[in-house]
Amino acid sequence: MATANGSTIIGESILINGNLQGDEDLTVRGRVEGTVRLSRTLVVEPSGVVRAEVQVRNCIIAGAVIGNVTATESVEITKEGRMVGDIAAPRVIIVDGASFKGRVDMGEVDVGAERPAARPALQRPAARPALASARPARPAAKEEAAAPAAPKPPAPPPAMGMGALKRRVVVKRK
Amino acid sequence: MAAMDKPALPKGGGQTVIGSTIVIDGEISGDEDLVIQGTVKGKVALKESLFVESSGVIEADIETANVEVSGHVTGNIAATEKVELKADCKVVGDIRAPRILIADGAVFKGNVDMDVGERAPKGK
Repeated sequence: MATANGSTIIGESILINGNLQGDEDLTVRGRVEGTVRLSRTLVVEPSGVVRAEVQVRNCIIAGAVIGNVTATESVEITKEGRMVGDIAAPRVIIVDGASFKGRVDMGEVDVGAERPAARPALQRPAARPALASARPARPAAKEEAAAPAAPKPPAPPPAMGMGALKRRVVVKRK
Repeated sequence: MAAMDKPALPKGGGQTVIGSTIVIDGEISGDEDLVIQGTVKGKVALKESLFVESSGVIEADIETANVEVSGHVTGNIAATEKVELKADCKVVGDIRAPRILIADGAVFKGNVDMDVGERAPKGK
């Protein structure tokens, strides 16, 4: 992975007007207008403003986004984040305090079906032992791990997603 | 709390980096230094310095204070202070700046005009 040079930062006073595409993480502290297409993560920091059609793998919004966001993995609006537009992503996380206006499309939602077991936590350091122990909110997930051979893994309740979400928020306040 | 303060980098003097896989087709403007490792087409207008690193490719007109080119630039460069063409750069286009440095090994094709700004510009 090109993590060493895979970091593009758009500084606070910078305005980019046009099409932007790439295969690395992009951090926006300034303004970007037009279209953004990345095969990796877009991070809009609190000072950042993105007024664009966005197609990325992951999107973390702590600033302002106006436009539609399509992510192949996840979209997260943090508590400082503001967004107007439609989101299409298999995972959408909107935390308390975030502001959002638009539609959300997480793809096929089959209410009756069990949730796919292979839905690992987001690609972030998942091990946060202190918090995990303080907040044992994911018993279902643990059962699953203990019995992976079960033909029909018990559908993790929605609490799973919420648990991950809460943990993230707490960590950010640290 | 520390996490919240993270974006508070040197303000104004903050640095923007366009990474090597990034392609921008459009206009970039701003008041801070810009480092380009990727590709930019269109126009670049800055009030500070532009660094085109060796992997950087610019097909654009450039207006800045300083420009330092180690990569490829196709387009006209207008700087209010200085343009520096490093040893392995390739530049095609006209350069207009009071100070222009071309290092040994640089490849350059175009006009040079150092007669700008400070003195009344004579029609060359």
